Amino acid sequence: MTLVKEAPVRPAGKRPAAPAAGRRGRRRENLAGYLFMSPWIAGFLLLTAGPMIASLYYAFTRYNLFTPPEWVGFDNFTTMFHDPRWQKSVEVTLKYVVVATPLKLLLALGVALLLAQSRRGQGLYRAAFYMPSLIGASVSVGFVWRALFSDDAIVDRTQKIFGVDVGGWIGNPDYVLYSLVALSIWQFGAPMVIFLAGLKQVPRELYEAAEVDGAGPFRRFWNITLPMISPVLFFNVLLESIHAFQVFGSAYVVSDTRCGPADATLVYTCYLYQKGFKEAQMGFAAAMAWSLVVAVALVTAVLFWSQKKWVHYEEAAK
Amino acid sequence: MGTGRNVERRTILKAAGATAATLGLAATTGCGGDSDSSGDGTVTLRYAWWGGEPRTIAIKKTIALFEKKYPKIKIKPEFTDYEAFWEKFQTQASGGNPPDVFQNAVGFLRKYDKRGVLLDLKSQADAGNLSLDNFRNGVLANGQVDGKQIAIPVGANTMALVIDLKAFKKAGVEAKFGWTWDEYFAALQTIQDKLKIAGDTGYFSIMYLYDLYLRQNGKAFFTDSDLGFTEDDLTQWWTDGYKRVKSGLVADPKKIEQVKPKSGLSAGLAASEFTWDNFSIRYEGEGESDYGLAPIPTTDGKQTGQYLGSLMLSGFSGTKHPKEVAQFISFMVHDPEVGKIMGYDRGILATTEQYDAFKPADAQNKGVAAYEDEVAKAGVLGKITPHPSGADVIEAAFLRLGGEVAQGKSKPADAAKALFSEAKAAFAG
Repeated sequence: MTLVKEAPVRPAGKRPAAPAAGRRGRRRENLAGYLFMSPWIAGFLLLTAGPMIASLYYAFTRYNLFTPPEWVGFDNFTTMFHDPRWQKSVEVTLKYVVVATPLKLLLALGVALLLAQSRRGQGLYRAAFYMPSLIGASVSVGFVWRALFSDDAIVDRTQKIFGVDVGGWIGNPDYVLYSLVALSIWQFGAPMVIFLAGLKQVPRELYEAAEVDGAGPFRRFWNITLPMISPVLFFNVLLESIHAFQVFGSAYVVSDTRCGPADATLVYTCYLYQKGFKEAQMGFAAAMAWSLVVAVALVTAVLFWSQKKWVHYEEAAK
Repeated sequence: MGTGRNVERRTILKAAGATAATLGLAATTGCGGDSDSSGDGTVTLRYAWWGGEPRTIAIKKTIALFEKKYPKIKIKPEFTDYEAFWEKFQTQASGGNPPDVFQNAVGFLRKYDKRGVLLDLKSQADAGNLSLDNFRNGVLANGQVDGKQIAIPVGANTMALVIDLKAFKKAGVEAKFGWTWDEYFAALQTIQDKLKIAGDTGYFSIMYLYDLYLRQNGKAFFTDSDLGFTEDDLTQWWTDGYKRVKSGLVADPKKIEQVKPKSGLSAGLAASEFTWDNFSIRYEGEGESDYGLAPIPTTDGKQTGQYLGSLMLSGFSGTKHPKEVAQFISFMVHDPEVGKIMGYDRGILATTEQYDAFKPADAQNKGVAAYEDEVAKAGVLGKITPHPSGADVIEAAFLRLGGEVAQGKSKPADAAKALFSEAKAAFAG
C-alpha cells in the first residue's frame, strides 16, 4: 500500500536512468555484504588488529600489567639483543627449524611417493599416515612423548639393544631438542597430503617418454618429479618453516613447563611466554613477538626471492 | 524490483539481527564469572588455591561446612597446580578480577602488595569480622608487611631433610640434631660406598635451603630490597655442589629431570632430599621405601637457620564483600572441624583451636608434628627473612641456573653472575 502511494511522488519524466538504479542496487548489495561480514570485521578489529597495534605500542614500553605502560623507546630491543637467554632462545629455535623442517619434508615426500602409487588399501594408508597431524598438537601427545623418551622408557631401551646408552633424552640437554624434532617429523601428514596432490598433477606422458629414452627411476625423479612438484615443495618449505619458528606446545609440555633442562628447549616462543606470563615483562615480550614477526617475514622474503632459481611454474616454461 | 527490494530488506534485517545476536552473545560471555550478591542477599565469593587432589577434596569439604554455617555466603572454588595458579592469578589480578579469597605464600606478598591487590585484613579484624588471636609460635607475623596484615597463615612449616629410612639404616648412618655439613656429606659418602646410590637429590638448587645456609653464616638470601649475599658466595656454593654431582654424592640431574613430577627421593635415585616438612607426606604414597624427617645440617653444630614459613589466605583489595571475605578466612583458620579435615596438608595447623582439634593418626603426620616439636624445643627457630617483590622470579631463576650448573652447561661463576643480573631485573619489575 505504501508503495502505491509513493509511486506518483516520483517525477514521471525523471525515470531513473538504469545505471543509477544499478548503483543503488549495488550499494544495497554492498551494504548487505558488509552487514554479513560485520561479525568477522568486528572480530578482526577487536581480536586481531587491535591487539596487534597495542602490542606494537607495548614493545616500546616497560609494562608489568599493573602499572601503566612507561615509554622506553628501543630499550626493550637493546636489552633483548644483549640478553644471553634471548640469544640462547634464538640459537635453539634456529637449530630446531634447520633440523626439523627438512627432515619432516623429506619424510613427507618419501611417504607421498610411496602412497602415490595405486595399490590396495591406499585410502587406509593415507589416513593412517595423516592421523598424527590431527592429534599432534595436543598436550596429551606431549606427555606421551615425554614418557617415550624418558630414562628406561621404550626409546632408551631400544637404543641400549644397539649398545647406545644416553639414559633417556628428556633429561639430557644435548638430546632433548631432538625429541621435539622427532615429534615434529612424526606429524608429517599435512605436507604429505600436499605433496600427494602435487604428484598427482605430474603428466604420465613425461614418465613414459623418459622411460622410452631409458631413464631410470632416480633420473625420472630428479629430472621430472622434482621440477614438476617444485611449486608444491616451495609451498611446503614456506609453510613448515613458518610453523617451525613458532613451535611452542611441544617444547612447553615435554620439558615440564620449564623449557629445559638447562634451557635446552628454550625455543623463542617459550622464552617469550616466560617473560610475559611468568615474569610479567609484557613490554619485553611484545618486543620479542615483533622481532619474531620481522624475522619470519625476512625468511619468507628470502624464500620467495630464491624460488626464481629452483621453482618451475608451467606458465614460465611455456 | 519490488520483490527484490523486499528480499534485500529482509536480508539486511537478518544480517543485522545475526550481528546483534553475535555481539550480544559475546557481551554475555564477557560478563560471566563475576562474583556478586543475588536478590535474596546471598553473597558469592570466589576462592582459589593450588595443590594436588587430596588438598582439593579436603578444601571442598571445608567449604561445605562453611556454607552450612553461613547460608548467605556461597563459595565458588577455583583450583589448579602451583605454576598455573600464579600465571592465572597474575592475569586475573592485572585485569582487576582476581578471586575474592586465595591461597598465598611469602614469596608473593610484597609483589602483590606493591601492586595494590591485597586486602588489609587489620581493619576487618578491628571490625570484629576476623579473629587474629590464638596463632601459634608467632606465625601471624608471616602475613604482615609494612605494618599491614595482608595474609593469614593456615599452617606453619619449616625446611627439613627427608630421608629414606631403609637406606640410611642399611648404610648404618644416623641423622642427628646439630650435625654439621661435613658430617652430612660424609654420611652421603658412606651411603654411596655401601649402597651404590647417590645420597642427595640436588640440594644446591633449592633457594630456601641456601637461605638457611646463609642464615647459619650470618647472612640471608634476601634483604628488604636486594640479595643478601655476594656472587662469590654463590659461586662457592655451586662449585661445591657441582663437584658432588661429578663424584656421585648427588644424583645425576639428567635422571632427576626425567622422573618429574615424582621426586628423586621417592623414585629411589637418592637417599635424601631437602624440602618443606609438610611435603614429606607425599613421599609415602609415591615411593616404595619408608621416609622420615631428619634435621638440617649446621655450620656450627647449633644454628640451623630455620624459621616457620606459611601458606596463607589473602583477600582481594577490590572485593565487593570484604566483610564476608574476612568471615570466611576467620572460619577457615579457626574452626576446629576445618582443622580436623585439613590435617597437616598445608603445614602444622596455625591456630591453637585447629592444632588441638587434629590428632594425627598416621605415621607421616605424626612425624611432621614430632619434627616441628623437636625443632621448636631445640630453640633454633628464627624470624622469617624478607621476600622482596620479585622473589618468585628469582626462585625460578635459582632453580634453573643451579640445574644448568649441575648439568655442566654453565660454570658456577657464570651462573652466579647471571642470577645477579636476573635478580636486578626482577626487583625492578
